[in-house]
Amino acid sequence: MTPRNRAMLEFVLDNLVWFMLLAVLIIFSVSVPNYFQVGIFANIVEQSSFVGVMAIGLALVIIAGHMDLSVESVAALSAMVTGILFCGAGIGMGIVLDPPWLMIPVSLLIALAAGAAIGTINGFLIVKVKMNAFIVTLAAFIWVRGLVVALSGGRSAQDLAPAIRVIGIQRIGYIPLVAWIAIACFVIFSLIMAKTPFGRHLLMIGGNQAAAFRAGIKVDKILIIAFVLAGAIAGLSGWLLAIRTSGATANLGVGMLFNAFAAVVIGGVSLKGGVGALPGVYAGVLLLSAINTAINLMGLPPHFTQMIHGGLVLAAVLLDTFKHSIRQKLA
Amino acid sequence: MNTAEPLLQLQNITKNFGAIEALRGISFSIDRGEVVALLGDNGAGKSTLVKIIAGGLEPTSGRMLFEGREFLAKSPAEAKAAGIETVYQDLSLCTNVDVVANFFMGREIVKHYFGVPILQEREMEAVVARAMANAGTRIPSLRTKVEHLSGGQRQAIELNRFVHWGGKLVLLDEPFAALGVEQTRRGLEMIKQVAAQGIGVVIITHIMQQAFQVADRIVVIRQGVVAGDVRREDTSPDAVVAMITGGTLAGAGPAQVENGAVTMSGG
Repeated sequence: MTPRNRAMLEFVLDNLVWFMLLAVLIIFSVSVPNYFQVGIFANIVEQSSFVGVMAIGLALVIIAGHMDLSVESVAALSAMVTGILFCGAGIGMGIVLDPPWLMIPVSLLIALAAGAAIGTINGFLIVKVKMNAFIVTLAAFIWVRGLVVALSGGRSAQDLAPAIRVIGIQRIGYIPLVAWIAIACFVIFSLIMAKTPFGRHLLMIGGNQAAAFRAGIKVDKILIIAFVLAGAIAGLSGWLLAIRTSGATANLGVGMLFNAFAAVVIGGVSLKGGVGALPGVYAGVLLLSAINTAINLMGLPPHFTQMIHGGLVLAAVLLDTFKHSIRQKLA
Repeated sequence: MNTAEPLLQLQNITKNFGAIEALRGISFSIDRGEVVALLGDNGAGKSTLVKIIAGGLEPTSGRMLFEGREFLAKSPAEAKAAGIETVYQDLSLCTNVDVVANFFMGREIVKHYFGVPILQEREMEAVVARAMANAGTRIPSLRTKVEHLSGGQRQAIELNRFVHWGGKLVLLDEPFAALGVEQTRRGLEMIKQVAAQGIGVVIITHIMQQAFQVADRIVVIRQGVVAGDVRREDTSPDAVVAMITGGTLAGAGPAQVENGAVTMSGG
């Protein structure tokens, strides 16, 4: 194979998900009635915000060669905390700050802190106590959800303060602020991964942890930061969810983990660690939303969505293995 | 600074893994600009000793003096900060990133913008290109991921890396395992260059010929103790083999081979 062909094949493999997204959008636009309009596309972008933000944190730890199954429950916790503090009805305490806009940064910081706290516990158990990441975060997935139910008593908080809801309503060029926040997160974390020593070291730890350690990289510190970040980002995703639903229920966000997981894998992040970039993950999320929207427009019952998502996760892991074997042939 | 004092002095280093005594009291020293070949059979404790000096393992007991001061690295980062570089036998490269990233692993060139460190890729690539050119190593593109490179090219990256960073003491744990004849010759040449700059070098090897080509002094470890510590010109490959396999008693000193039997004239 000539170097040029190889470089082209590499480029296609690295950006496969963008080509898939493009193909899916074209196919749906042609075959599904009413699919091709600005409103639909804006809706796809908006729908992608919540799973998308969550997928960023998940991708960080998977790139570092670990796993975080707790992000969904952590998002629910942050949403519930936001809801309890700033909702006016249900179990909401209806706290009002003056000036009202102050509620946006305050509620955001609380949501981030709640997520970061869970992330810190996960990171400590995995890195310092040396427990298996899969088990630790699976346990967190369960106990944090339990905490959400306990906090809420199984009831819900409604009527989030209007000053915060602005984020969900205000639009800039067809797209609501919620989605812009998600896009900004992807841009910022993509830059962190590509341009800073932290991102570079995270990638190297995922590739060869022993080599990174020998080279003097503070592996433990960076891994703990990754778990704390994953928690905090999940907290942000929960905050956005609370805004979107104007409150929180005990079962908010159930099932999002698998969508985020599917998006990460479809986006080209290898479960073996050390491979992947965040722009691809965003494309993966958009791809899932594009498919969801098509299913809705075609009027299929919602359980089909679940079947398709399950199939997509399988297809994504299969694709991961397939790409791996192609790359090995390339080398 | 008193240049007469040894660069690194090991005093009675021991290391136990549970009930197993891997090192039972190792003492020797390395001067600035000196090349010491560390020899010994499999399981003699050479790699354990190197890991202790490099900060990857903590000794059970014993003292280490580095430049006359008591020094025990608690992590590879600490050892590096003190000027101790290590090349391990199993390669220490991240194959999922490119040559430049590996060369600068853990000490990337950054510029701070609003307090945020940003990698300076072009600057780093230029440094690597220069280092590779100086060493006569040819790699098609420095932006190639290391997984696409051959074993020899990978080892060349590691060797160039230690030559470039240098420090004060370099530890090489079987650095030529995957190299061809010509690359090995160049590697040995690199070691001499590095030593000529006043850097101390410890090289672990199984190949007697390499030890005699490059070392000023040969230290043999057997069953966790120093079984021999001799100047190269005072010994012969056969005498060293005898020390490794236990044909002679523990201790230093020149040995001669007479009629196939080894006699000791010292220690």
